[in-house]
Amino acid sequence: MPETTQFSGTENTNHIEGTLKANTMLMERYRIMGIAGGGGMGTVYQARDTRFPDAKRMVAIKEMVIPNTNEQVRQSALKNFKRESDILASLSHPAIPKIFDISDENDRAYLIMEFINGSDLEMILNKTRELPIEKILEWAIDLCDVLEYLHSHKPDPIIFRDLKPANIMIDSLGKVRLIDFGIAKLFTTDHRKHTMIGTEGYSAPEQYKGDVNPLSDIYGLGATLHHVLTRRDPRLEPPFSFNERPIREINPKVPPSFIAVVEKSLELKPENRFQSCGEMKAALEAVRSRPSMSAPSVSNAAGGGQNTMLIGQNTPAPAPQSTSFFDDMGGQAPSGLLEPRWKFKTEDEIRGGPSAYKGLVFVGSYDTNMWAVNLEDGKQVWKHHTEGGIAATPVVDSSSGLVFFGSEDQVFRAVDHRSGRINWTFPTKGRIRSSATLAHDHVFFGSDDGKVYALFGANGRLLWEYDLGAPVRVRPFVTNEVVIAASDEGDIVAIELSGKRKWATRAKRSINSSPFVDMKQNICYYGSFDGFLYASDASSGYSIWRFRTNAPIVSSPLVQDNTVYFGSVDGTFFALNAENAKERWRYTLEKPIVGSPVLRENNVYFGGTDGFFYCLDAKSGRELWKFETKGQITSAPFIIDNMILVASMDKTLYALPLFS
Amino acid sequence: MDLFRRLFGKSEEELKTMDAEEKTQPLSQPLPAPVVKEGAVVDIDSMETDKLPKTVQKSTQTGNLPSIPDGATRPLAPEKAITSFNQHLLFGQSTDVGMIRSNNQDAAYSFFVTNRSAEERPDFGLFVVADGMGGHHDGEKASAISTRMVASQIINSVYIPILTGMNDMDRTPITEALIAAVQRANLEVLNMVPEGGTTLTVVAVIGDLAHVAHVGDSRAYLITHEGAEQMTRDHSLVQRLIELDQLTPEEAPDHPQTNVLYRALGQSENLEVDTITRRLPANSRVLLCSDGLWGAVNNHELVSITMEYSPQEACDKLVALANTRGGRDNITAIVLKIPK
Repeated sequence: MPETTQFSGTENTNHIEGTLKANTMLMERYRIMGIAGGGGMGTVYQARDTRFPDAKRMVAIKEMVIPNTNEQVRQSALKNFKRESDILASLSHPAIPKIFDISDENDRAYLIMEFINGSDLEMILNKTRELPIEKILEWAIDLCDVLEYLHSHKPDPIIFRDLKPANIMIDSLGKVRLIDFGIAKLFTTDHRKHTMIGTEGYSAPEQYKGDVNPLSDIYGLGATLHHVLTRRDPRLEPPFSFNERPIREINPKVPPSFIAVVEKSLELKPENRFQSCGEMKAALEAVRSRPSMSAPSVSNAAGGGQNTMLIGQNTPAPAPQSTSFFDDMGGQAPSGLLEPRWKFKTEDEIRGGPSAYKGLVFVGSYDTNMWAVNLEDGKQVWKHHTEGGIAATPVVDSSSGLVFFGSEDQVFRAVDHRSGRINWTFPTKGRIRSSATLAHDHVFFGSDDGKVYALFGANGRLLWEYDLGAPVRVRPFVTNEVVIAASDEGDIVAIELSGKRKWATRAKRSINSSPFVDMKQNICYYGSFDGFLYASDASSGYSIWRFRTNAPIVSSPLVQDNTVYFGSVDGTFFALNAENAKERWRYTLEKPIVGSPVLRENNVYFGGTDGFFYCLDAKSGRELWKFETKGQITSAPFIIDNMILVASMDKTLYALPLFS
Repeated sequence: MDLFRRLFGKSEEELKTMDAEEKTQPLSQPLPAPVVKEGAVVDIDSMETDKLPKTVQKSTQTGNLPSIPDGATRPLAPEKAITSFNQHLLFGQSTDVGMIRSNNQDAAYSFFVTNRSAEERPDFGLFVVADGMGGHHDGEKASAISTRMVASQIINSVYIPILTGMNDMDRTPITEALIAAVQRANLEVLNMVPEGGTTLTVVAVIGDLAHVAHVGDSRAYLITHEGAEQMTRDHSLVQRLIELDQLTPEEAPDHPQTNVLYRALGQSENLEVDTITRRLPANSRVLLCSDGLWGAVNNHELVSITMEYSPQEACDKLVALANTRGGRDNITAIVLKIPK
């Protein structure tokens, strides 16, 4: 059994030598000049028609190999060849080369046709860096025209089947000509089932099921245009993955209206594409007639409405992050409709987040107070004054009823949740901005004095301290084995519960994003000012992957269902596959995101420095609702019962109702 | 309750004094031989095989064993002594030309290192399956070159630093090192075997984490008694059609283009490499195989054979089973058994 493999790039090399040598005469009329190309399934020769000795008339001769395995197969192939060439000969369109003659000699069939002086589009793509958009648009319109001509052929429509840059010639006048009609395929024998690399790249999904119709040519044209506009060869990409390479991102010069036409023609379901080449042509002509044709896409974006009307109602939203605006599923409560249950105003910015316990909500403010308010009505119950601003989120120990928090006055405190009265204090030598973690009956936090402290929760007795040498502002994460903390110098360390170093590693810049350990996989995630989100093995510290964003990451990551959620100062909120850092979705704001997310059920919640608090669908990133505050939101919200508590730099704590 | 007392059954002070005592003991003190009653059958599988710290933790519940601080060797209860130190990953590997083809274009590579010392260095394993394609001898060359290349790259960029302990602080993330190695192998194939290509599935095991890098339609499975989970995604046209709901999994085997790949080494200079990281559950199996195996053996059989037999027996049995079903393609299997 032969074990040859066919490669997309090399499939023609067997044929390119051809059988006809230069100066050979074919049919006693055509003198072979040389090989013009090896496009498609056979060799194409350039030949001179000796019937017109003085006119120097050139023809193209396509040579195809007739299968000689079986006389019946051979006869039927020849019969088909003749029938198809009959059809081709009857066609008359400026973009279709004229057929002059056919012939068969020995085991070869020949098609004599008009010689086109020019280059195919694939060659042009290889030889140029950029093509004028106006030109591409003109070719697209002409291709629609010739396809419409073919599709309206009687009695049966002619489907080109194999539209791709290599089958489109641009002649010396800059006009498109379709070459390599499906006729050549009559002679291909069944391939054995060998592994092949490379797919056709331009074919519609239904063609792989043997269902070929005029709408498949529309897909092929869309695929060709996508390749020409983006210069990303679809044969080197996963099949049908055009939407993963948005034209808008790769080539910002292409007007959105043009992009919309290409995207519609690339719909996977034929019924969602243009329903005829005439319809597609009209859409392209409308793109051309618009005055802003060559203007930068930004100015065109505003005209998107017209564009939508033009190409029908089921146009997908052009950009993934704006799908929410087109979505009618989410019960998108417009901002303002969502009324907070109550608001509580402190005397200065609230930088840290709230917590709640037994009907009380605790929140620290830069006004130096820890406030306790009633969960039901937001009325103040007590306040505890410190000598410095409070930037940390309080944590409540449900067994002792103590509220733990540090202040910029350098002191860490435990106060009674009912009265706010001090239970114990622990002085450090730096301002405390790190929020505490409660685990194993101990409370763990960092200080600007560079240390991580482990105190016994009941009395504040020091178990150990660990010196990182630079301010520790993250909330330590405590597993059953280690305490993971990080410093402003970018050091990240895992401290055994005994206080000994287990491992240490380093990011390139400061770490303010609190580490999060996915306990199921025991993998630790944290962000850094270097713009990366890191994943490392929590038991060894070995780095597994990192994901780059365009600005520092301050927001603390969160993992649920194998997805890592976090925001970046570049304004984007990300959902990544935790196993390989592949992006699941992203949601972009105008302003940086420094607040940390919280998840409940299928929703993810976070605040932006644009003052809005967002609720997105955790699976899709679809916006469900947003709520406007008057200040930046820099902390994580807190969910209790059917309420979500949101603190803002507008000095206010909001209690928003949650509906599930 | 005091953290130490809760976790270790002793207060901080008690631990500290114990620490000092124990450090005076020689580190190389031999372990006592396990005491086994005459005639008793030692069931290795049922032995306590937790890692050392967990064993210590457990001991507090029974109160029988002293705590063991870092770096010190202490006598352990006999029945726990051997296995907890010596359990490590086991692997088997088998490859066969099949019943029809004349040459084996698959390549398989296995490398495993285990070490036990006062320094905690994780065990390291590297396993590769490649399925070459191309006329003449191009396929077998492509799979051989890429396997050798990717192995040498990863041993250099991942294993040697673990061994030397160098660059602990600034080490390239493992995933990036794997991707770089596969991309380097790709360039090598393009250079050396321009007409050939190959799939490549790489599993690097560090401690109990498996890092997978993958291109093509060879596969890596994570297998437990519950079933076989395919960790890799085939880069095949058929798989793509299934993902887009254009084809049902039932129709897939009969599709005329079932063997068409859209991504492989040796295709173009830019190669996208899939990666995935998984913590391997105790007593699970990892199977790497070429399509000659997974195309002929169903998931149920993969599970029962890999779970029932030793890794090498499992590989041999899987390959033999594929051969009894026709052996239409080259068949390769690597099985890893993760310690309990």
